[in-house]
Amino acid sequence: MHMLEVENLTKRFGGLTAVNKVNFHINEGEIVGLIGPNGAGKTTLFHLLTGFLKPDSGTVKFRDEDVTGLEPHKLVNKGIARTFQVVRPFRHLPTIANVMVALECPRGRKKIEWLKTCERKALEMLEDVGLSEMMFEPAENLAHGDLKRLEIARALATEPDLLLLDEPFGGLSPIETEYLTKSIRRMHLDGHTMIIVEHKLHALMKLAKRVIVLHYGEKIAEGTPEEIAKNKKVIEVYMGKAM
Amino acid sequence: MAAYVRRAYSSFLTHVIDIPPRLLSLLFLSLLACIPVIVSPTALSIYFLGVLITANIMAIFASSWDLLVGRAGQISLGHALFFGIGAYASALVLRYAGLPLWVTIPIGVLVGTLAAVPVGFPCLRVKGPYLALVTMALPLIATGILYYYRDYTGGEQGLPVPRFFPFIQNLYHQRVAEYYLTLLALLISAIIIYKIVNSKTGIIFVSILDDEVGAKACGINVTKYKLLAFAISALFASLAGSLQAPLIYLASPASFSLNLSFYAIIITIFGGIGTIYGAIAASYIIYFLDQYILTIPQLEILGTKILPLPTVWHPLIFIVVVIIFVVKWPRGIARFVVEDGLTELSKEREIEERGKHIWKKYKKKKQEATESTAEG
Repeated sequence: MHMLEVENLTKRFGGLTAVNKVNFHINEGEIVGLIGPNGAGKTTLFHLLTGFLKPDSGTVKFRDEDVTGLEPHKLVNKGIARTFQVVRPFRHLPTIANVMVALECPRGRKKIEWLKTCERKALEMLEDVGLSEMMFEPAENLAHGDLKRLEIARALATEPDLLLLDEPFGGLSPIETEYLTKSIRRMHLDGHTMIIVEHKLHALMKLAKRVIVLHYGEKIAEGTPEEIAKNKKVIEVYMGKAM
Repeated sequence: MAAYVRRAYSSFLTHVIDIPPRLLSLLFLSLLACIPVIVSPTALSIYFLGVLITANIMAIFASSWDLLVGRAGQISLGHALFFGIGAYASALVLRYAGLPLWVTIPIGVLVGTLAAVPVGFPCLRVKGPYLALVTMALPLIATGILYYYRDYTGGEQGLPVPRFFPFIQNLYHQRVAEYYLTLLALLISAIIIYKIVNSKTGIIFVSILDDEVGAKACGINVTKYKLLAFAISALFASLAGSLQAPLIYLASPASFSLNLSFYAIIITIFGGIGTIYGAIAASYIIYFLDQYILTIPQLEILGTKILPLPTVWHPLIFIVVVIIFVVKWPRGIARFVVEDGLTELSKEREIEERGKHIWKKYKKKKQEATESTAEG
C-alpha cells in the first residue's frame, strides 16, 4: 500500500495544460524530489495535491482514501501539509502565534492552562527549527531565512504525515541551506514523509532517495538521483539538445 | 527653538503616558463613571450627558467594526446594516408583539446576529474592495425596503419606541440612568470583545487578515471563521442599534445611513485600527469634537461665521483628519499606549540605541585596525 497515489492527474488553464496525466506514488517514510525547469507545473501539482486548485481529471488517493478536490483545511486535517514557494507569514502576529494558528490544541479545563500547553507546544516547534529566540518578535521583523524556517515550523505544527515543501532552499545562503538540510533530515528521522520541489539540485540530491522530473506538465523521468543525473531526456530538458 | 519643541514633545509622548494598559483603562472607566456625579444638573449638562450616551453607543458600534475589519480583515462599509436591523427588529417586535422593552432588546440582538449569516455567505465570496462595495450597498437596499413598507415600518418617520426609564420624572435623572446603562453595556461588550480578540479565535482572525492562503494551509476553515467574525461583529452592532432606539425614542431610518457606517470607520481609524480600546477612546474624542468644538462656540473672523459649523460639514473635517492619520500615524491615538511593554516610540528609540551600539563597535574595530597597522 502506498501512502499517496496520483493517477492521471490533469489541470488545464484555458489552452495551457499545466499538469498532464501525471502518475506517481509516494511510499511511507520517503523523501521524494520533484524537479523540472521553470513552468514545468511543479507548483501547480502541489496546489492540486493540497486542494488549492481542483484538478480537471484524475484522482489523488491518500492512504487508500480518495481525497481529490477536497478543501485545503480538510486535507490538512487528514495529514497533508505544505509550505509555499513565496513565504506567507502572518505579519502582524508574533512568531509563536504564527505556529499556534496551525496547532491543534486539546482543550484544557481552564483557558489559561490551555493557552499555556498550546504555547509550550508552539515553543517546542520553534526550537526544532531554531527560532525560539524570536518568539515574541512580530513575523514582519524576521529575516527571509527565518521566515522560510517559520514556514516549515508552521507546516509541522499541523502534525502532518506527508509534508510538501515548495522550494525550501530558495533564497537561502549556503550556511542556511546546510542548516535546513540538517533539520529536514531530522524531520525525516521523526517519521515525516516528504515531497520537495527544489531548483538547487545539489542540496536536493543529498536528501532525496527518488526523484521525479516534470517537463511541460508531463512526467518524463523517475528514479534515483544517480539515474536521473545520467538520464538523456533530463539532460536534454535542462541543457538543450546536442547539436 | 524647533528642536526644543520637538524634544519636549517626544519626551512628553514617552514619559507621560507610559501607564500600563490595565491601569489606564481602569482610570478611564472610573473617570467616565464619575462624570454624572461631578456635573451639576443644568440644561447644558443634560446635553452633555446626551453626547456621552451617543459616544457610549458609538463606542460599542465602532469596536464591533474594529473586530470585523481591524482583526478579521473583512472590510465592511455598510456596518450600519446591523445597527439598523437591531434597532428595527426590537422596535417591530415591541410594536406588533407587544412585548416589554427589556425583552425586545435581546430579540433585536438575536435577529441582527442571525442576519449576519445570510448577509455573510454571499459577501464572503468576494474580497477586499469588492466586499466593501457589496456591504455598502446592503443598508441602502434596507432603507428602500423600509420606505416601501411604510405602513408597517413608519417610513421616513421611523417607529416610535418608549424610553428606558419612563418612571423617572426628572429629565436629568433619566439621562443619568441611561448613561449608566449604556456605560454598563459598553463595559460588558468591551470585555467580551477583548477576550475574543486575545483567544485562539482572535489569533486565527488576525491570520486571516494577514494571509488567507497561509491560514488555509494551516488547516483553518477560513469560511467558517469569516462568518464567525461577521456574526460576532453583527451581535455588538445590533446591540448598539437596539440600545440606541429607546434613547432617541425612535427607530429611525437614519440608523441605516451611510453616515453612521462612516462614523464607525472614522472613529476606528482615529483610535487605531485593530486595537479595540483605541476605537472606544476615540469615540469620546470624536463626539466631543463633533458636538462641542464644531457646534457650540461662536467664532467670527472678518465678519464670516466660522463656528458653529453646520453639521453637514463635520464628516468632511473628520475625513481629512482620518487621511492625515492613515498617512502619518496608522496606529491612531493607540500609539501612545504601552503594548507588550513597549510603545511604538520606545521601540523606535530602542532600535536607535541598538544602531548607536553597532556604530560604537564599528568605530572601535576600525580604531583597532588602524592601531595594528600602525604597529605593523
